[in-house]
Amino acid sequence: MKKQRYIIGYLLFLIGGVMVSSAGYASAKAETMQKPAAAIPATTANTKKAKSNSTADHSKFKELDKNFNSGPEVTKACLTCHTEAAKQVHATKHWTWEFINPATKRKLGKKNVINNFCTSTKTNETFCSACHVGYGWKDDKFDFTEEAAVDCLACHDTTKSYKKIPGLSGHPNYKKMEWPPHSGKFRPATDLKKIAQNVGQTSRDTCGGCHFYGGGGDAVKHGDLDSSLKQPGKYLDVHMDAKGLNFSCGKCHLSDSHEVSGSRYAPTSIDKKGAIMRGKAGERNPTTCVACHDNAPHKEYAKLNDHTDKIACQTCHIPEFARGPRETKMTWDWSTAGKLDEKGHPIKINSSSGAVAYDSKKGDFTYDRVVIPEYKWFNGEVKFTLFGDKVDGSDIVKINDMMGGPDDPNALIWPFKVFRGKQPYDVGNQTLAVFHTAGKDEAAFWGNFDWEKSMKAGMASTGVEYSGKMAFVETEMSWPITHMVAPKEDALTCAQCHKENGRLSKVAGIYQPGTNSTPILDMLGSIVAWLTLLGVIIHGGIRVIQSRKGA
Amino acid sequence: MKIILGFIAGIALVVVITLMYAADLMVNEYESPFGVEETAARVQANIQSLEHRGWKLSALRNPAKAVAAGGTNVLPVLLVEACSTTYSAPLLKDDKTKIVSLLMPCTITVYKKDDGKTYIGTMNSGLVGRVFGKKVGDIMAEVAKDQQVFINMDPSKPAPPLIRTGPGGGGGKGGAVDAGC
Repeated sequence: MKKQRYIIGYLLFLIGGVMVSSAGYASAKAETMQKPAAAIPATTANTKKAKSNSTADHSKFKELDKNFNSGPEVTKACLTCHTEAAKQVHATKHWTWEFINPATKRKLGKKNVINNFCTSTKTNETFCSACHVGYGWKDDKFDFTEEAAVDCLACHDTTKSYKKIPGLSGHPNYKKMEWPPHSGKFRPATDLKKIAQNVGQTSRDTCGGCHFYGGGGDAVKHGDLDSSLKQPGKYLDVHMDAKGLNFSCGKCHLSDSHEVSGSRYAPTSIDKKGAIMRGKAGERNPTTCVACHDNAPHKEYAKLNDHTDKIACQTCHIPEFARGPRETKMTWDWSTAGKLDEKGHPIKINSSSGAVAYDSKKGDFTYDRVVIPEYKWFNGEVKFTLFGDKVDGSDIVKINDMMGGPDDPNALIWPFKVFRGKQPYDVGNQTLAVFHTAGKDEAAFWGNFDWEKSMKAGMASTGVEYSGKMAFVETEMSWPITHMVAPKEDALTCAQCHKENGRLSKVAGIYQPGTNSTPILDMLGSIVAWLTLLGVIIHGGIRVIQSRKGA
Repeated sequence: MKIILGFIAGIALVVVITLMYAADLMVNEYESPFGVEETAARVQANIQSLEHRGWKLSALRNPAKAVAAGGTNVLPVLLVEACSTTYSAPLLKDDKTKIVSLLMPCTITVYKKDDGKTYIGTMNSGLVGRVFGKKVGDIMAEVAKDQQVFINMDPSKPAPPLIRTGPGGGGGKGGAVDAGC
């Protein structure tokens, strides 16, 4: 009889199971049919047409009403009214490409550092100066005191038609020319009169003309700066959202006497002094998040303010970089450069997405999009490996090492793009190499693919004789991520860090609840939980039996 | 009393087991050594290698792009869609199995997770097919075999180009007609 009851129970169990599954399926189906798909929220911002608020219409100035033959001619015309502008520009990093670190007194700036992209500007000025705010820098004889050599239009063009061409020593093309080379596409001669008559404030287009294309192409270098920020959606940058706040770069990077605030060489990692009062002069950096948002910006979830003494705003609010449609370059291996096809011609091989994955001139590349940053302590001090610093090939060379640690009161955990490369070093001189790449001369690597000639010419430009032996060394360069601020709804959630292998799991010296477990404690907890359940069942069973007996 | 208790306990057990394991049983997830776009491109190339079994690419969809247009960020997701008339024709001919067209075209999803790694997701066609009876089950079992070819990531092969058939962002046209779906 007992057996029969259990068999009936078992059959009912199976039938019940099927019924429950069917009911669940049916209800889910019904729910799906009743609920319409959630509508994608439309952006609420208005789409105002940009208009100039300038009090001057430059098209009415007779100084600008003529056909200019060159950029310096335009500059001379500008200086007739803006008499001090060139002197101001001469004092800026955009002009000198030099920065003296106040703490270490080491000479930094583009003119002095070696990176792991195109590596060095030395001997390559004709090309690199396409992003210099000047005209005519082609070698070390460039006159940095010449006022007419200042390029006003690079930053003040509003027509979007001004372009400095690599290879023309900082000049735009004054005649019709094929660009890019061998593309079959032609750029018309630059209409300097039209551009000069339409100058205005700097814009995302003018700043981005260089900063979006650093490292040799769109999105290559920074990871958080690329051409998708010219007209970004809210998802990409909540401040620059073209249909929303529509910030220009200058909205945060306030300038004074043409010196633009914000620095890669001496960044502000922490600002404990709260928001900056409008109009208050001072030495503080106006580009920080705190400068506007204060040190305790989280009103709704005040607990989040407890994180701001150890975690940079960017860590949570820029959860990924390169979130636009452009891929950013992640690695660059110079050691494979120079391969040619059977006919001796250079090769280009594309990646799956269509980006150049191999170029005989430059070697192998990899790319990524929507990249999870790497996180490190950072106190604002950056230690650069400069030319002459000892490199022996035994370790990965940190081109710029971020200083700071968990016990440093000035350090916060920051997000970084870490760009990894393999680049030449002079084995005999034990230093990162300066090698000559661009140009039409015989020593330029991009023309002859001869490392020895390229190394000899590059090293000579530094005053050091090439030892005759070169090799390749692995390098890392870190780029603090600070643009592409996501809407607050997309900031990192608690669970993205407070879990095993969470976002900050590789950061040394921190304890985060929920990130790890102790097996013994877990086992004890489980035993206690199961014993409790067992106790409840036994206790309940006894109560049921006792109540029956009582009845 | 014991029968009722056994019945209730059975239901409870089935509910718990269903909730715990059903989702994992219905889908498969594999880690890819490549990035999202290259993984999707390799899946596409693998699908094209099975043209003799009727497979054709029908679309590449990017649902993350539609989300971005709405002002929100999600990590990259690409849906590679393909169809094979070898398998779809017998199912579409039969009124009893036409409903299975809901599962067409065959979709392979490629996505990045918060650990920064790329993953490939497929439906567990073999198991799902069995739910619909022998005919569908047999066909889906064949699809499941082909799926294993789709997701084969061979690093010795060069990265193929991503074939952008269909929409760039989150919907729209695909080549489904050409692909036999």
